[in-house]
Amino acid sequence: MTTLTDTPKQGFRLSQLIYDTRYRSITIQVIATVLIVAALWWLARNTVANLTALGKDFTLEFLGNRSGYDINQRLIAYDSNATHGRAALVGILNTLLVAGLGCVLATILGVIFGVLRLSKNWIVSRLAAVYVEGFRNVPLLLWIIAIFAVMTESTPSPRDFRGENPVASMALADNVAITNRGAYIPEPLFANGLGDVEIKPGGVFADLYFNVSIDLIVILLTLVVSLLVVKLVNTRAADIQNATGVRPTTWWVNLLIIVAPIAALLWGLGFYLGKPELSGFNFSGGTHLRNSLLALWLALSLYTGAFIAEIVRGGINAVSKGQTEAAFALGLRPNRTMRLVILPQALRVIIPPLISQFLNLTKNSSLAIAIGYMDVRSTLGGITVNQTGRELEGILLVGLFYLLLSLAISTGMNWFNDRVKLKER
Amino acid sequence: MSELAIERQIDRSHMTISDEVAIQINNMNKWYGQFHVLRDINLTVQRGERIVICGPSGSGKSTLIRCINRLEEHQSGDIIVDGTELTSDLKNIDKIRSEVGMCFQHFNLFPHLTILENCTLAPIWVRKVPRKEAEDIAMHYLEKVKIPDQAHKYPGMLSGGQQQRVAIARSLCMKPRIMLFDEPTSALDPEMIKEVLDTMIELAEEGMTMLCVTHEMGFAQAVANRVIFMDQGQIIEQNEPHAFFNDPQSDRTKLFLSQILGH
Amino acid sequence: MKKSIMLGALAVAGLTAASASASTLDDVKARGKLNCGVLSGLTGFSQPDANGVWEGFDVAVCRAVAAAVLGDSTAVEFVPLTTQVRFTALASGEIDILARNTTWTFSRDTDLKLDFIGVNYYDGQGFMVPKSLGVTSAKDLDGATVCIQTGTTTELNLADFFRANNISYEPIPIETNAEAQQQYLAGACDVYTTDASGLAATRATFEAPGDHVILPEIISKEPLGPVVRHGDNEWGDIAMWTLNALIAAEELGVTSANVEELSAAATTNPEINRLLGTEGDLGAMIGLDAQWAVRAIAAGGNYGELFEKNIGVNTPIGLARGLNAQWTEGGLIYAPPFR
Ligand SMILES: Nc1ncnc2c1ncn2[C@@H]1O[C@H](COP(=O)(O)OP(=O)(O)O)[C@@H](O)[C@H]1O
Ligand SMILES: N[C@@H](CCC(=O)N[C@@H](CS)C(=O)NCC(=O)O)C(=O)O
Ligand SMILES: [Mg+2]
Repeated sequence: MTTLTDTPKQGFRLSQLIYDTRYRSITIQVIATVLIVAALWWLARNTVANLTALGKDFTLEFLGNRSGYDINQRLIAYDSNATHGRAALVGILNTLLVAGLGCVLATILGVIFGVLRLSKNWIVSRLAAVYVEGFRNVPLLLWIIAIFAVMTESTPSPRDFRGENPVASMALADNVAITNRGAYIPEPLFANGLGDVEIKPGGVFADLYFNVSIDLIVILLTLVVSLLVVKLVNTRAADIQNATGVRPTTWWVNLLIIVAPIAALLWGLGFYLGKPELSGFNFSGGTHLRNSLLALWLALSLYTGAFIAEIVRGGINAVSKGQTEAAFALGLRPNRTMRLVILPQALRVIIPPLISQFLNLTKNSSLAIAIGYMDVRSTLGGITVNQTGRELEGILLVGLFYLLLSLAISTGMNWFNDRVKLKER
Repeated sequence: MSELAIERQIDRSHMTISDEVAIQINNMNKWYGQFHVLRDINLTVQRGERIVICGPSGSGKSTLIRCINRLEEHQSGDIIVDGTELTSDLKNIDKIRSEVGMCFQHFNLFPHLTILENCTLAPIWVRKVPRKEAEDIAMHYLEKVKIPDQAHKYPGMLSGGQQQRVAIARSLCMKPRIMLFDEPTSALDPEMIKEVLDTMIELAEEGMTMLCVTHEMGFAQAVANRVIFMDQGQIIEQNEPHAFFNDPQSDRTKLFLSQILGH
Repeated sequence: MKKSIMLGALAVAGLTAASASASTLDDVKARGKLNCGVLSGLTGFSQPDANGVWEGFDVAVCRAVAAAVLGDSTAVEFVPLTTQVRFTALASGEIDILARNTTWTFSRDTDLKLDFIGVNYYDGQGFMVPKSLGVTSAKDLDGATVCIQTGTTTELNLADFFRANNISYEPIPIETNAEAQQQYLAGACDVYTTDASGLAATRATFEAPGDHVILPEIISKEPLGPVVRHGDNEWGDIAMWTLNALIAAEELGVTSANVEELSAAATTNPEINRLLGTEGDLGAMIGLDAQWAVRAIAAGGNYGELFEKNIGVNTPIGLARGLNAQWTEGGLIYAPPFR
């Protein structure tokens, strides 16, 4: 039977699935999908079979059980009577802390050394090169352990501070104690503090309770308002510049706007510094920055900073010399040239690889266990898994956490990247 | 005589050369490491002069004009621009750079800024001109180089000839008294060379002091009042265009002219 | 060498399907080698000697099992494991038996799907401090920094002890005994806590053991014993009765020196005869030949010999038999009858 369509009918041959560009990509995608699904199915089936063979089931119930172990670095309330879920949360916060601190310091180091390596001064650029190559080419784990070992072996123990003629003494007018257990620094305290608010979610999230210091909230709010005012001042300065060509000097106004309200607030709250003091086996009072945190933070930052330095150098190099010359020829000074011409172009090149460095740093922080830093890999993925025998569940949860965190970081950075890019095109 | 015939009548009414000295170069030498790029350069440029510099590749033409706005540093001798001597004093460098405009072979427009922003950047941040006023000036010069309608596009969207004209407009926005050109048409397709040269001719007609490295001999004939021939870092010969082309003195000049004019 | 938890999880996630369910005895025989999980290095318990040959009180259990099953006490592949990964390694089938200072607890035996096949050392958790600190009781340790190994019963007992006594401490979690020792000696922690036997063994390696004291408090029961996977009872029986054979041998006076002679022909003691296979057929009941126990005892000696040679009072570790004396001597070491 013939139909009424006019389109010429072409015969379809099976070989077209492979050789015809119209079908080829579909064929490949279908095959890939089938293979992946089959592999996943096989893995899942084996897992279930193996678990039943071992007589184990898959459950997350253990998260609600008493953990029974203590954790030294806690950003939220926790003790051995809390649940494994709570221990996981303590670990998560510790991971976030070291990853956050690491990303900031790594970026600072990376920018400094990236620019220094471009320096015309031979010694300076050589030193930067030594830093970059030294840290890039030695495995991170070695740096973590080496830095930790140096910190432990080269610093005095708290007991050395004791006695008539102590072997060691505190630094910075008795405010800071550097020991082989970490640094004890003064902690901010408030004589007229406003106390804490308790945040207590219910149901499945019951483990997520935490306290927030009202003092901190008030300080942050003040800071935000000050920054908004500063922004206003800057916008006005830009308007004035647009209108008259001369930009009014704003730095001291801005400084005043930021410093004065905070200072007044701190005075009102009765701010003072609590000094660490030797008592018993250890220092008490003050804030204890454990060696495990310091060593991990330093190692992660120095290591990742070396990679970022190369990215920064590459980004700046990617902007042709002609751009600088054109800017100079127009009479722009070097710092303005950097800010108005080079950096906006370099950032476009720098940000995407920077994102992967931040992700690397975050994931690398899971080496923490090597020096006993209690991150999520050490709590949930380490002690909890070991005490409960739930390795599959534990490792899956830890993996899921890193996955979500990485996605969050790259989403945030991509958003920033888009903003930078938008200005260019 | 050249690939490019200048068709229109050139208005020479403003092309007057005053006694005032715009650029004075005395016994200037420059080295790149061991390599002696510029040897004993002596050159006086009067205000309103239009000088074409030619010579084989690598002879130091670019280096010479880049020394004039201190993109390169010279090691001995003096360069005095508009009465200011070029030293490492930042103030002097700033002053000279804001009086001397420069156009490059590869345009060097800022790709992340629009055409208009390219033109207003320096006036705003160096001359401290209010934005509105800077934009008016920019539009004025963009009209002059005949591309006001491209003001809000980005450099990447323009043709080479248009980009070079923007680069000229960008320099003019700083109201320079001297313009340096380093092979402004070398990177362009033939049909675009003309539009750029036309712009340069107009500039000459208005009496701008110009130093121009170019191999466009038609342009040299029509506009320049002096042609300088350089080889191996030295000024070998200089003369007014007619004499330079028809009666070259040195053998090297003759050889060069025969090569470039294809006799 | 350290095995990661990740590897274990992967193994469970089954790149090799259900390896754990096959008969361990058949696997071991087919392989011709026993895979034995041990400590990475604790003097007296398990440590390679200068030639790389593993020796120690825990190592001896594996050698005896290998001798019984394979007829060769050297046919053992020793796999050093940290506290963190030991159970994963066993569950995933990487090792056949774990002989590694492991405390028998309810949840390990049941929830972790392991089977403890007996106790080779009755221990308890203790504390070691530098003498110079002048501490005489664990209750004086308020505010101290304590080195512990993660993934142990130790860290749970520690939390309970300090909580019960209402004193505080700062835990420093560490993966291996060697690192703990280094941190402790560097003064990064004031106290090192683990099984008392482990403390004694650790202290024995110090340059000046006398500068360190082990505090009188023993805060927990730590019955240490070899472990196999739950579910393979034939294999569990072999391991259990090999350990019992060593214990019974001491009680019956069978030693590495006289076992040849005693097993040559039936003696007047029927239990010795059954143990050494000159009477009855006990070996066949666990799938082995009649000489299995002879080889196990000949491998390193009976329980008492192993104790004295590796950790006893005449070794640098210097542990007295105490709880680990035979029941006939007032201790807890007791083998069920061989009949
Ligand atoms: N930055 C530099 N370092 C070393 N040598 C250079 C540099 N720039 C240019 N030169 C050399 O100086 C000579 C003159 O260069 P240039 O002034 O660019 O020549 P022209 O413009 O006449 O072709 C050439 O031999 C060139 O290789
Ligand atoms: N018996 C406890 C503790 C075991 C333990 O901590 N043993 C120490 C030595 S006494 C150890 O395993 N050290 C690990 C190593 O050195 O690798 C348990 O089973 O959890
Ligand atoms: Mg050149």
